[in-house]
Amino acid sequence: MRENTLRVKKPRDWYYWIFLSPALVLFLLFIVVPTVGSVYYSFTNWDGISPKMNFIGLQNYIEIFTSARFGNALKNTIVLTIFVSVLENVFALALALLVDKVIKAKNFFRSIFYIPVLVSGIVSGFIWKVMYNYNFGVINSLLKGIGLENLTQDWLGDTRFTLIAIGVVLVWKGVGYYMIIYLASLQSISADVLEAAQIDGAGPWQKFTKITMPLISGAFTVNFTLSLINGLKIFDQINVMTDGGPGFTSETLVYLLYKVGFNEGRQGFGTAVGIVLLFLILILNGAQQKFLKSREVQL
Amino acid sequence: MKEKVKHNYKPYEWALLVLTAVIAIIMIYPVLFALMSAFKSNGEILKNPAAPPTALYFKNFVDLFQMSDFAGAIINTIFLTVLSEALIICVVPMAAFAITRDHSKKSSFFYTFFISGMMIPFHLYMFPLFKELKMFGMFGNFIGPIMIYISGSIAFGSLLYCSFLKGVPLELEEAAMLDGYNRFQIFWRITFPLLGPCNASMIILNGLNIWNDYLMPYLVLPSGKAKTITVEIAGFVGQFTARWDIVFAGTLISMIPAIIIFVAFQKYFVKGVTAGATKG
Repeated sequence: MRENTLRVKKPRDWYYWIFLSPALVLFLLFIVVPTVGSVYYSFTNWDGISPKMNFIGLQNYIEIFTSARFGNALKNTIVLTIFVSVLENVFALALALLVDKVIKAKNFFRSIFYIPVLVSGIVSGFIWKVMYNYNFGVINSLLKGIGLENLTQDWLGDTRFTLIAIGVVLVWKGVGYYMIIYLASLQSISADVLEAAQIDGAGPWQKFTKITMPLISGAFTVNFTLSLINGLKIFDQINVMTDGGPGFTSETLVYLLYKVGFNEGRQGFGTAVGIVLLFLILILNGAQQKFLKSREVQL
Repeated sequence: MKEKVKHNYKPYEWALLVLTAVIAIIMIYPVLFALMSAFKSNGEILKNPAAPPTALYFKNFVDLFQMSDFAGAIINTIFLTVLSEALIICVVPMAAFAITRDHSKKSSFFYTFFISGMMIPFHLYMFPLFKELKMFGMFGNFIGPIMIYISGSIAFGSLLYCSFLKGVPLELEEAAMLDGYNRFQIFWRITFPLLGPCNASMIILNGLNIWNDYLMPYLVLPSGKAKTITVEIAGFVGQFTARWDIVFAGTLISMIPAIIIFVAFQKYFVKGVTAGATKG
């Protein structure tokens, strides 16, 4: 069908498809096809290895919404994602304000805060795993050193702290990225506006809440959505630090998906979990679009 | 702004500077901790985790390369990153060129179509993807990962290149067309050379993701041989539970190239990150 339209159209259309097709073909083949495939597999009992599989209707989804393990993974995902997102945004904004205001070595500080972003998920997980170690870790030995021995904890092994300990690593690694976005937004605010406010008698707090905050709300929406979506996809650190444990304490949706798919031979069920994850992301993204539109004036 | 007036900073400004410096030390500490530990013996790491090494100790690196095929992993990682990026900066700008130079409904459809790829998590479609790779004979070799990296870069790449290309003035391209250039010549001789900064942002940000990627190469690359740096390190964590020093030597090798490239090309990191965020 396409060939026919090509022949009758202007020659420039040929070029159009030639320029577009490498990207289009790869995108269709390695993203769209497997995504559509995963919708199909989520209705099967595919084990991932054998070519045979049966169509089992909604059974995977029924299991998802009735199994305690999924409920636990969903809860962990939500707790971890919100913890990480909120802290990332609070700290990223604070760091951006500091870097924007600091009187010396602006670029140096910006680089330092960005360096953790460069560290891979696996490496960051390993470094912090060693720092969290109960007997030999820096954190506990620091606490002992300043006489707070009773605060030492088995950070990753004690189920009260596992998720928070993982969350701290993610915040540490992620905050620099969001800081860059806040900083760009802060630097786009014209000095005139702030000066005018000052002349009108606005104090620093008023200037921040009445001028700066509304003007960076676009960056805030983008960052919050990005950090929530990234939070939902966390994998590497959990893999290297706890493997979802102790027990199921740090098993998130992505981790559940991985474990049932590769360790338990239930890829049909795993893809169904993935579909639920996609819905969560679509909801978040829809909320962002709505939020951005309602505030478009400030962008 | 840059008047050479001697500033009289207020005390609170000095306090802010001190606060920033303290936070900077906390933020960089885990990286320094890894750096120091890479040059310490295992005993020293366990006994005095916070202290700097007493002497530079290189045995970790020797052991690392002797006890594992880390050299192979380094070569694989470089190969994957470089080859994928070389292909990415051909495939993605070409598509973005078609989309931005043809203002039609189909162009805006393809733009939205590509960009929406950013929402689809890799974990969602990896099982069917691996099945597909096996069918094509791309599983257990380097072709599969490279294809995955290129297709995975299209979403963010379209965003970055389209926003950049919209800002490239059309006069040069129009003049070239009058001179009888065809569209390939226009793209490769006129437009592509102007894409330097955009290519730099793309290579740096996307290359970092490939360099640091874990799950996909772990699952797709041939088993029984060295895979990538990150995959080897993840393996060491389980394998060398009693030899943190070796793992730290590996983490240092993983981090150093990324940090050097960041320091050298900082402004492209910043441009890429902000372009990706504001056009989202």
